[in-house]
Amino acid sequence: MRLAYYPGCVAQESGKELDMATRWVCKALAIELVSFPSFSCCGSGFIDEANEVLNVALNARNLAIAEKAGLDMLTICSTCQGMLTLANIRLADPKVKGRVDAALKPLGIEYRGTTKVKHLLQVLTEDVGLEALKAKVVRPLAGLKVGAFYGCHLLRPADEMSWESGEEPHAFEELLQAVGATPVYYRGRVMCCGFPIQFVKPETAERIAGRQIDDAKAHGADAMATPCPLCHISLDTYQNQVSKAVGHRLDVPVFHLPQVVGLALGASPEELGLARHMVSTDAAVAKIGSRALA
Amino acid sequence: MAAAEEKLTKFTEESLVTVPFDVYRYDPAKGGEPRYQRYELRLAPHTPVLTGLLRIRDEIDPTLTLRYSCRSAICGSCAMLVNSKSRLACRTPVGPEVQAHGRIVIDPMRNQPILRDLVVDQQPFWTRYEQMEPHLILDPSKPMPADTPTRMSPAQVERFRDTPRCIACGACYSACPAVEADPGFPGPMALAKLYRFVVDPRDSATQGRLKKIQTSGLWLCLRCHLCTEACPKDVRPSERIRDLKELAVQAQGGTELGSRHAIGFLNNIEERGTLNELKLVRQTAGVGGVLGALPQGLRIWRKKPEITKAPPPIEGIDQVKKIYQALEDKKEGQE
Repeated sequence: MRLAYYPGCVAQESGKELDMATRWVCKALAIELVSFPSFSCCGSGFIDEANEVLNVALNARNLAIAEKAGLDMLTICSTCQGMLTLANIRLADPKVKGRVDAALKPLGIEYRGTTKVKHLLQVLTEDVGLEALKAKVVRPLAGLKVGAFYGCHLLRPADEMSWESGEEPHAFEELLQAVGATPVYYRGRVMCCGFPIQFVKPETAERIAGRQIDDAKAHGADAMATPCPLCHISLDTYQNQVSKAVGHRLDVPVFHLPQVVGLALGASPEELGLARHMVSTDAAVAKIGSRALA
Repeated sequence: MAAAEEKLTKFTEESLVTVPFDVYRYDPAKGGEPRYQRYELRLAPHTPVLTGLLRIRDEIDPTLTLRYSCRSAICGSCAMLVNSKSRLACRTPVGPEVQAHGRIVIDPMRNQPILRDLVVDQQPFWTRYEQMEPHLILDPSKPMPADTPTRMSPAQVERFRDTPRCIACGACYSACPAVEADPGFPGPMALAKLYRFVVDPRDSATQGRLKKIQTSGLWLCLRCHLCTEACPKDVRPSERIRDLKELAVQAQGGTELGSRHAIGFLNNIEERGTLNELKLVRQTAGVGGVLGALPQGLRIWRKKPEITKAPPPIEGIDQVKKIYQALEDKKEGQE
């Protein structure tokens, strides 16, 4: 499998451990990642709020770059996945496409709309397949209870994202099961992490994040795992502030999706950048450590 | 006549499914704790949840209290939680719920005080709706002609999108995590209604409406789209809230933290094509904001030292800048 790798901004900066883990896992699963230093930011939902057609045009350029290389795109962020998918859909409207084409054509960029955009979670569950993944597991995460946290834009609007239920998805939990972990079902798993309003009203954003972490914990989760680095910022990077907002210490480690898979496939904590997390993952890793590799 | 009768499909006992309902029960007048009452019915899979609840009330337990009227997804009275999802009970069939969950758990809507069983006090919902001034505000110097209809072009009508379909059931309000977390957020329905008046060509208060909403909750929308999933009439409130934000930014610029952040982000990406995380804090929150974020920033820097370095520009940044030049000044949907 060969895919145009769209890491997104955060995985190249403060969330570098996500990029490290993705590369490790894809190598282990023989997924060839083709890098394009010309990809720009997806707009993260913010450019969309200020200028929708500009945001669509920027993503049409991204999609056209992969299209020219004849590749489908791999995202590792729920928001990137959402913005690129919505761009493809909005570009099906001839009025939008007309305006975007008028901006892109003078630059020699042609968008035709043949590139599919897939998140790593979809590639792992649909293209690699859970049985094939299971066969590669060398260190089952047995005994580890993990609360999946999807990130809104990977699921909704469900009509547009069109791969899972917008409110009752199962893909992530099935993947957790395939790598030997015990998935924890809780209401917060499909809720918002608060990130979009972290700048606007931090105390509300943090209360929202805290609600979901508390919920996962109350349902017995030892750790959470997310396919979205923006959720990771809310849940892990800011967890100290979130604890203050909810008035008690949370102390729940939060893995990136490929870190959970990487651990099961035999990667070391160093290879997955676990030391870069703000909340220590040591206790969670120790739970599966008795089955560590030689 | 006889032939037609033969074609009728009858529901035999085998085509029915057992539906275990676990219904939230609470009567503050009687005191005590809320509890779930189990009722079991045999129903055809396509039977609406509401039909099941009414059978329970009429045949098993007359004390069950719920709000409903038309049974046809027109009146918007029977919104409640069906297996934790905010739904109209009259248009949610029992079959798929039982298949997915083995039972149907019924709760009253979220984010509103519970009066009794499935009935909530909708006053907060209506108050926030009324705060939107959901009526035409006309320019007194240009009164509408009394005896001729006002004409609208198809393009003008199109701008309403699906907002006139709203039946004010409150499912979106119940599903909204911003409503849950912050009393300053008016809720998806109120904002979708506001949008409907903002784009109405007869309304004269567009700028005032946008200005007011920018400081009273617009920028607290999380764009999680849970309202759009809950809406039984496909009004898509989250998308209309996005439209309101863009209209506000384009007409009034970065007057609020929320609009400043959207514009700051947009400008940030124009420079390098990729996000300069540290600079974004300054663009949104100013120097004071940077100082306030310093202790947290230092904490993060110890684990992630690269956050102080600006990323290199992407290849082809000139293309990005030209796309900005081509599309930045044009206003969306204003033709």
